[in-house]
Amino acid sequence: MATQENEQQCMVDLTRVSKTYPPNVQALTDVSLQVHCGKILFLTGMSGAGKTTLLRLICGIEKPSKGFVEVAGQDLSKISKAKIQHLRRHIGVVYQNFKLLPDRTVAQNIALSMEVDYRSGIFIRKQTRDLLAQLHLEDKYNTKAYKLSRGEQQRVAIARAVANKPDLILADEPTGNLDAETTQLVMDLFLRCNSSGTTLLVATHDSSIYNRPDSKIVKLANGRFIPRDPSTAGAPMPSEHQLSAGGKK
Amino acid sequence: MNFFFAVLHQTRRNLLLTWRTQILSLMTIALSVLIFSFFYLVYTNALQAGKQFSDDLRLIVYLDEEPDPTLQEQYRYKILKFDQVEKITFVSSAQAYDRFKEQLAEDRDVLADIPKNFLPASIEVYPVQSLNSLSRIKRFSDYLQTLPGVLKVQYGREWVERFYSFIQLLRIVVILSGTLLILTTTFMMAHSIRLTLLTRQKELEILRLVGATNNYIRLPFFLEGALLGLLGSAAGMTALYMLFNWITLHFAGSTMLGMFSFNFFPMPVIAMIIGLAIMLCAGGSFTSTRKILSL
Repeated sequence: MATQENEQQCMVDLTRVSKTYPPNVQALTDVSLQVHCGKILFLTGMSGAGKTTLLRLICGIEKPSKGFVEVAGQDLSKISKAKIQHLRRHIGVVYQNFKLLPDRTVAQNIALSMEVDYRSGIFIRKQTRDLLAQLHLEDKYNTKAYKLSRGEQQRVAIARAVANKPDLILADEPTGNLDAETTQLVMDLFLRCNSSGTTLLVATHDSSIYNRPDSKIVKLANGRFIPRDPSTAGAPMPSEHQLSAGGKK
Repeated sequence: MNFFFAVLHQTRRNLLLTWRTQILSLMTIALSVLIFSFFYLVYTNALQAGKQFSDDLRLIVYLDEEPDPTLQEQYRYKILKFDQVEKITFVSSAQAYDRFKEQLAEDRDVLADIPKNFLPASIEVYPVQSLNSLSRIKRFSDYLQTLPGVLKVQYGREWVERFYSFIQLLRIVVILSGTLLILTTTFMMAHSIRLTLLTRQKELEILRLVGATNNYIRLPFFLEGALLGLLGSAAGMTALYMLFNWITLHFAGSTMLGMFSFNFFPMPVIAMIIGLAIMLCAGGSFTSTRKILSL
């Protein structure tokens, strides 16, 4: 019962959101989107389509020029900075440029997201080792981040995003630097998170990860959602600019 | 791990990452505290010495004739009218002669042919024993000089004036060194924390992105400042204590310093100086983080 109620709740709710960067760059125009708890949604589109902006709006890094952004039932424009910070602890973000600290070890980078949530040292160490094992990076525990390859850095960024068992994961091109085998490892990790209730929002170009029969996909172009070819797997298109990923997975 | 331990953990990490800058800050704080507390120690000991002097301080008012009891009462009334005094003693001509004879000891024979009333009668006025009275001594002396029948007023004027000037100078030095302590400590701390913050902008940005609260980011820097204040001022005070011991050991016995008892600060004063340094450093770091992080 509780799980059913949880699934009905909206994790992400964007209402007629527009974002304009100065002087007059329209990144998003009148975009509405709903993602229910425990769902997976893939955001696709060309570079500059507005995928990253959308993710930045959802995690509160950017503020919309128009419209409303609600995450876990909280309107980001109405809650205090402190509350946004608290909310971010429950959102794992994989940034396109990784945002790792090059002079820190892999373990220290992953630990950051758990430390700000005051997790115990034992939990942090166990979780870090566990994640590194899942991503085939066991031997990099004490390696400084700057010594890693791009693909390894990307996996560390992913590990940091999922480490704190977030309610929502926002991943911006999470497999951009990975080979097919490692991409599968990452997707398996994301799916495991999702099976334990985490909502996933993945912005990607990589059709190999979203071309599955059960995938919910939305496409952005020039800052607007565009209808997808119905023959493409799992495309929910309720109406133009208004999308919902609330159906069955 | 609760918030408190997380903040302590972060503080420890900050200190380990920037230990070179921290050592420089620590040395500056220690030096500032040493300079200030050195002058403050000299000042407090000079005040103490002044008190020792003022115990013996008296004004001798020489009179042109022996005052009878009625006149003595009038003198007493007029003196008390001007200022509070510890004690007033009337010394007759004969008493003055006896004292002088006693002082001469074996040479008292020189007084054989001199009349016993050759010394004038006098009044010994002992002012209230507080250093502030030193500044009033001159005015008091001028007043006493105006009383009828007074020949001369003597009180070691030169010495009192020099001592008073010395105390005034020390007071200025203490104020200046105190200001130096405040400015150096606050600016040094603010600057050092600012540098740390600027070099760690990326880390702070990531901390915010993963949900660190303002307090989580700011408190470690605040604690860092307070800790540096504590260690720096403790080091400064320890250095001063060693300097004090060295000076008292090498100079106290043989020179003029031996006339006075020199003391180190009592515990409450030490605690006050250390507390002040902690407050200044923590304050410096607080303002710096507030400005840089725009919290």
